[in-house]
Amino acid sequence: MTKSTLLQTIVVFGILAIALLYVLWRVVKTARGKGDCGCGCGKNCQCKKKTGKEF
Amino acid sequence: MSTDQHKKDNKERLLDNEPVGMTVQVVRVMGNGAFRQRLLEMGFVRGAKVTVLKNAPLQDPVEYMILGSHISLRHSEAAQVEVTDKDAEFCDMEDAFNGIVETTVAGVDPMADNVLRVVLIGNPNCGKTSLFNNVTGAKEKVGNYGGVTVDSKEGWFSIGGRKVQLVDLPGTYSLTEYSPEEMYVRTYIRDNHPDAILNIVDAGNLERNLYLTTQIMDMNIPMVVALNMWDELEKSGDHLDIEMMSRLLGARMVPMTAHNGHGVKEVLQAVMDAIDESEHQTQHHNVNYGPLIEDCLNELGTMCPDLDRYTVLKIIENDQHAIDLLNGQDNADEVKSHAAEMRQRIERDYNDDIASIISDLKYGFVRGALAEALTPNPERATGDTKPGYSLDRLLTNRWLALPILLVLMWLMFEVTFTLGAYPQEWIESGIAWFGDWIGNVMPEGILKDLIVDGIIGGVGGVLVFLPQILILFFFISLLEDSGYMARAAFIVDRIMHRVGLHGKSFIPYLIGFGCGVPAIMATRTLENRRDRLVTILTIPFMSCSARLPAYLLLVAAFFTANQGLILMSIYLVGILVAAITAIVMSKTILKHDKTQFVMELPPYRKPTARNATIHMWSKGKQYLQKMATIILAASIIVWALGYFPRHDGQTPQEQIENSYMGKMGKAIEPVVEPLGFNWQMGVSVLTGAAAKEIVVSTMGVLYTGETDADEESTTLKEKLQTATKPNGEHVFNPIVAYSFMLFILLYFPCIAALAAIKREAGWKWVAFEVIYTTGVAWLISFIFYQIATRL
Repeated sequence: MTKSTLLQTIVVFGILAIALLYVLWRVVKTARGKGDCGCGCGKNCQCKKKTGKEF
Repeated sequence: MSTDQHKKDNKERLLDNEPVGMTVQVVRVMGNGAFRQRLLEMGFVRGAKVTVLKNAPLQDPVEYMILGSHISLRHSEAAQVEVTDKDAEFCDMEDAFNGIVETTVAGVDPMADNVLRVVLIGNPNCGKTSLFNNVTGAKEKVGNYGGVTVDSKEGWFSIGGRKVQLVDLPGTYSLTEYSPEEMYVRTYIRDNHPDAILNIVDAGNLERNLYLTTQIMDMNIPMVVALNMWDELEKSGDHLDIEMMSRLLGARMVPMTAHNGHGVKEVLQAVMDAIDESEHQTQHHNVNYGPLIEDCLNELGTMCPDLDRYTVLKIIENDQHAIDLLNGQDNADEVKSHAAEMRQRIERDYNDDIASIISDLKYGFVRGALAEALTPNPERATGDTKPGYSLDRLLTNRWLALPILLVLMWLMFEVTFTLGAYPQEWIESGIAWFGDWIGNVMPEGILKDLIVDGIIGGVGGVLVFLPQILILFFFISLLEDSGYMARAAFIVDRIMHRVGLHGKSFIPYLIGFGCGVPAIMATRTLENRRDRLVTILTIPFMSCSARLPAYLLLVAAFFTANQGLILMSIYLVGILVAAITAIVMSKTILKHDKTQFVMELPPYRKPTARNATIHMWSKGKQYLQKMATIILAASIIVWALGYFPRHDGQTPQEQIENSYMGKMGKAIEPVVEPLGFNWQMGVSVLTGAAAKEIVVSTMGVLYTGETDADEESTTLKEKLQTATKPNGEHVFNPIVAYSFMLFILLYFPCIAALAAIKREAGWKWVAFEVIYTTGVAWLISFIFYQIATRL
């Protein structure tokens, strides 16, 4: 295995591990009813927005 | 004149029997229970004038005008309202105005919990969310029909250097217990002790809107009334003496137009003034119900000093939730029996039931105040409908309403398809060019395969449908903002009723064409739990926008003519399956009595380009966010499962068949084969569990993997058209494509929708939904495929 192939393999498996963890995290989070901002789930997304207009 | 005396003098006339165009006065609402209470609160009180406007195209429900609002009632419900045409009989209604009484309220420190909290309360569709968006800079969804907001939304604004939390609550006609959102508002106020209430009222419909104000007044919380849509009141030629009205009601009133921001700063300043004043002992103003009821309120209030006047009145009204608050109190039994005695005394004295008496008095109070402060435009003839309803002559016309509804639906799909095809081609070419470029500049290897086949093939396959998604949501936004949604519910109510559904279910269904999650939450506007369950369980059959990329791909690839109609037929199959499911459920496992249908038909409003663009942009952003997150991650995983394990000397076709994904697909192939699917299609529907767009991205990855390295780059559509089985036959043809679309339409919803079902209905129903929808999907695809291939 050349150095370049090894490096590519490490990068790909790193990306794959991140993708797997992300999907797992998203699935658990969604199943627990905690949707993201802008996900369209209708949950209270604006609560994270602490700044509004100034009057 | 008492009700009994009236009955002796007149043969009983029911609203149900009144002809179109007739104006009559309400004598009483018969029956009992929550629906009666709702009618009373919507203005069907003794002496109120009702005009019969029109029958729905299928003859039921009927549109009535009361207190300037257009209300839809079914014949069976209108038969509960006794009416008379003797005009002068109830002219004593305004005598019910007894003015206000003052209650001394102890000062409170608004910063006791370190947060200044103001809540928005008002009737549905009065502009609360428009104000909320204007003040907080949020982009929460607004629409010209009731029930858009079903949850609380929180945002922030600053005024005079102070930071304030603003909470948008669902619209409600009153604070009783008729529907879940009413209870939600009531419980929210009780549990969160807001520092002030900002009551938004529609300035053009004060009589009905101020009914809720009278209930809020009794809660003894600092309140400001914002007279929204003030521009429309001015345009109508009516004149309201705000100063006099404020004095008569004992509440601060400030004019405002939320959608353009006029008067918003003044409203917020008035709220801050009210909060500042509440720090000291103040005189709070309440509706004066007359000596008898006031004595009862004072007496009972002394027995339970911790309860506010609103709750004490509710205890006298025999409201179960208010009575429950007495639990744990030492003198609870004494209070209950005392309240029961008082109720009897009041009912005896007024010769009516307590619900009617309180509603009459509240409306009497509002009418009395309006008689003093509101001067209607003398040029407008009595009985004229307000502007904004003229389109109903066409859109709810007996003969034209249903064809127009169908044409609008068809137009929406046809334009989505045809207009969206141009930018789609540009994006497709861009992605293909990008894929080729990456392929040329990167050295051969695993990383290049991941980027070209996994990421570009997967994400790119879904990204190309962005224009269609934007166009579809643009249309939905126009329908929502114009007020047509409520008309659609009015038109189809009879059909919905026949299949055991409530007319109001139509609105969650329409939202379901966008996304199932907010649609499931929108069922909170349905009062009956069984109605809600039937609606929740059938919403996933309304094809959400995430399934659209799969249809667009397959329709474009395998149907050359009538593409809009093919697409529409898929949606219609979904509606049909939902209807059949609803009929079966409402006659078996969710059997229940017919639920009443009372709905307000809002005036038509011109949709604004700004709102439609914001809605479109927000949906486009969500779509792109999904691309960059869950679809990207899923594409990478699907690619890896189709790439490993590696075997030397195999063709790409053999490689993918021997991969983990190939083995998984082969294992489920016997189940999907009778539907005309190959293993790649079987795997695609499985991965769609995370998000339905992943069906397409999986196919993008799997079919890109089949491409030979030296083959000329083609789009996913072309790959599907040319994909062949080992025996040389084409994998796809129009029958297989339609069978696949039917399966995608009907099988289990994505995990986010299942989580929403769990929240609203529980795990039991989630399990039922997964098994039922997948079973139905398999059966219908099977029947279609087997019959179609034999014809």
